[in-house]
Amino acid sequence: MIRHIIRKEFTDIVRDGRFRWCSILVGALLLVALGHGWVQARNAQQEHAAAQATAREHWETQGEKNPHSAAHYGIYAFKPRLALSFVDEGVDPYTGTSVWLEAHRQNDFLLRPAQDATAAQRIGVLTAAQVLQHLVPLLIILLTFGAFAGERERGTLRQLLASGIGRRELAVGKALGVGGALALMLVPAALVGAAALVVVSPGPAASPLARGVVLAGVYLAYFTVFLALSLAVSAWARSARTALVILLGVWVVNGLVAPRVAVDLSKWLHPTPSAIEFARTIEREMASGVADISPPDRDASTERLLAEYGVERVEDLPVNAVGVYLQESEEFGNRIFDRNYSALWDTFERQGVVHETLAVAAPLLAVRTLSMGLAGTDVEQHRHFATAAETYRRDLMRRMNGDMAENSRTGDFSYAADAELWESVPPLQYAAPTLGWVLGNRILSLLVLGTWLVGTVLVAAARVRRAEVG
Amino acid sequence: MAARTVLRNEWRLLVADRALRVVLGLFAVLLLYALANGVVWMRFQERIVETVQTGNAERASAIEQELAAIENGAEPASRFSDPRDPYVLGGGRGTHTAVLTPGPLTALAVGQSDLLPYYYDVNIYTNESSFQQNGEVENPLNLMVGRFDLAFVVIYLLPLLVLALGYNVLSEEREQGTLALTLSQPVSARGVVVAKLAFRALPVVGMVLAASLLGTLVTGGFGSPGRVLLWCAAVVIYALFWFVLAAWVNSLRRSSAWNATVLVGAWLVLVVVLPAAINIASGLLHPLPSRVQMVTAQREASNDAVNRRSELLARYLEDHPEMAEGVVADVTFSGALAWAATDAVNRRLEEVTGEHDARRAEQIALVRRYRFLSPALLAQEVLIDAAGTGDARYAGFQSQVRAFAERWREFFVPAILAGEQMDASVLPDLPRFSLADEEAADVARRAAVPLGILGGLLVLVSAGAGVGLARVRGAD
Repeated sequence: MIRHIIRKEFTDIVRDGRFRWCSILVGALLLVALGHGWVQARNAQQEHAAAQATAREHWETQGEKNPHSAAHYGIYAFKPRLALSFVDEGVDPYTGTSVWLEAHRQNDFLLRPAQDATAAQRIGVLTAAQVLQHLVPLLIILLTFGAFAGERERGTLRQLLASGIGRRELAVGKALGVGGALALMLVPAALVGAAALVVVSPGPAASPLARGVVLAGVYLAYFTVFLALSLAVSAWARSARTALVILLGVWVVNGLVAPRVAVDLSKWLHPTPSAIEFARTIEREMASGVADISPPDRDASTERLLAEYGVERVEDLPVNAVGVYLQESEEFGNRIFDRNYSALWDTFERQGVVHETLAVAAPLLAVRTLSMGLAGTDVEQHRHFATAAETYRRDLMRRMNGDMAENSRTGDFSYAADAELWESVPPLQYAAPTLGWVLGNRILSLLVLGTWLVGTVLVAAARVRRAEVG
Repeated sequence: MAARTVLRNEWRLLVADRALRVVLGLFAVLLLYALANGVVWMRFQERIVETVQTGNAERASAIEQELAAIENGAEPASRFSDPRDPYVLGGGRGTHTAVLTPGPLTALAVGQSDLLPYYYDVNIYTNESSFQQNGEVENPLNLMVGRFDLAFVVIYLLPLLVLALGYNVLSEEREQGTLALTLSQPVSARGVVVAKLAFRALPVVGMVLAASLLGTLVTGGFGSPGRVLLWCAAVVIYALFWFVLAAWVNSLRRSSAWNATVLVGAWLVLVVVLPAAINIASGLLHPLPSRVQMVTAQREASNDAVNRRSELLARYLEDHPEMAEGVVADVTFSGALAWAATDAVNRRLEEVTGEHDARRAEQIALVRRYRFLSPALLAQEVLIDAAGTGDARYAGFQSQVRAFAERWREFFVPAILAGEQMDASVLPDLPRFSLADEEAADVARRAAVPLGILGGLLVLVSAGAGVGLARVRGAD
């Protein structure tokens, strides 16, 4: 019997012109968005990789100079585009793509693609993720709002139930019928996506396929939430019209209102410092230290060296006191930067938690967080790369100052290192975080989405059981 | 007389409709929430502008005091921060920060103001790479989602409200069987629909305009009445577009359910799908040049200049014979030499950036043609432009800062080349940045085309609705 229901629902949808066209439109948008995303991600990745190689070449061929001058010259790091970013570009347009790693300073990431685009691009972005997060749920609503309410209005619900089918079977049959129709569109898109990932991956990533599978699971759960919710409302509502109005209301709150409310709420609960306050705080702390972090004292540093090596004059030191002091001030600066940047990143993370928490009112927020996380395009993975780049910078500075301290004497400014030293610095190798790391960060979203899944299915079951016949 | 009766009854029905009151009440809450957000953001930016200006004043007075002290025989605190040195007075220590005050109606539309930098430090080292900045510290996640401001409510939520209020103005009468009765009175279907929609439009548009004016009042935006007028015009035309669209769909004589589906579909296509499709198409057809390549080109430019440092001064003096006068024959003079290298880097950066910007402008011009397809994009453009938070105002500010940096260099470079020291007598002549903000007329000129097209769409749909409604008969 249930097989008949599934087949009837499925055939209904596939034959109904309106829904056929809607599905074709959404499916086409999904494929276009995937294709566009893939081209963009691949171009960006190729460009970043090429720029990274050029930056390395600049570093190696900078000619003979004092190691500390080389430290000032520095090197640029470009953020790689991870493989799955073609499904969900996430915050990538709003984070910088490159950072200058130089002596004394931790710089900000610059070149946000969104700054180069126009204002129009801020309201009209369509990635595959956005099709999945916004348009597919709308399609589900349109396909299911009449499931019970419509049958009831037409008087066919009584007939159906009289034929001996249980309400639950009927609901499951309808859900599977709608699911089958959606699968006609989603499965090919998923296969195209997987093929794009396997055949020509647009960029590097840790375990892209595993990430992709979990991503598919997340969206499947999200669609089930909407399917169950629509069935529940359809079973409960007096008329199909009421069901549609309520479901559209849910869709608007979920996709339009809640995300922006989360922005303001997160800023209100966890205010970010202004750029000028942030810069001035660092400037002040760099000049005079803060709390238990005090700037290195050059004379004390020299005294210590003299005592350590048991000599009277700096000229007799076997190391360059300036190099030692430069590294000490580098370490001091690092502590100041760590303090300030950690606080900033932590604020961003706390704001992210506000978005995640608000997912109890709008499942989109949980799904979006998970989707960006799995695609490698969330704020945390930007931080992950920023931390890797900064670690690299510190290692680079230690090597430069160390070489200067070891191989030249105090007061000797003529010492110049050459390509041998530059080449001895290993290039920046970035390892994207693993799936476990990503999911570990996203437990809250997983929990909320799971709760939504269980909750809506239970509510749907309860509503369907009590669905009135006429 | 009969028309009056119909209208009066319609009005009574509306007033008695509890659902309507709830919906309008909710809409009012959203408007006020959006407004509060905008006001908070504008106040924040105003506070930062003040901080920046205080910083300017503090730096200037510290320099003035030290110069006075030196004149009275004191020694400068350090050789490297001696304010008499043009490298110091015109360099980091003398930095003047050029700042863009928030757009007069920022409280109504945050626009690009959370993304684009609104102040730049200017000194002799300012060059093209100085313009690569992030602007305000902001969580990228929040930038991605965007703010809940009045512009958002107008562009996305207002049409939905209009559609909810207007999708069944005629179809409902038919479904209730009252259409024949109504049209048996000496009123036309057109008259009835216009009146019904007008009753609904008045409170909706009235509320949005009231909220806009309230926000303007609170933040002192009435200083630019032209912008306020433009904002209101865009809101009214955009809202009317959706009302008229509802009238048109009603004139097609289908069921309420059909009307609702079609109108929601229209909203989805015009507000969500088309802008996105336009962006995808333009991204594929006219990709923006990449900044990443520009960074590499800039790096190469400066490597090149630094490597050729020794030949540069001679070339600089060839290019600027007027400067040669003050330079002593001793070309190894380090200040002049260092400046020659800096200048060479700047010139190359300008070339590289100039190429990039020209290509970007070309692509954006092409992309902007497509926005005529979507009323939402047109409305967004006019709204944020009127608010003073659109791309154009920021671009204008940036080019003024470029010109200011040029003036700043012209003031200090001759002294640098001549190896001269400066004193307190130059302080009154130091270049000061004063923003020549765009006039409401400039904004109106820019907005004329998108607003005109939006108006054209309105007229087109009105004509369709008019023709359709003329065919409506009570016997339908």
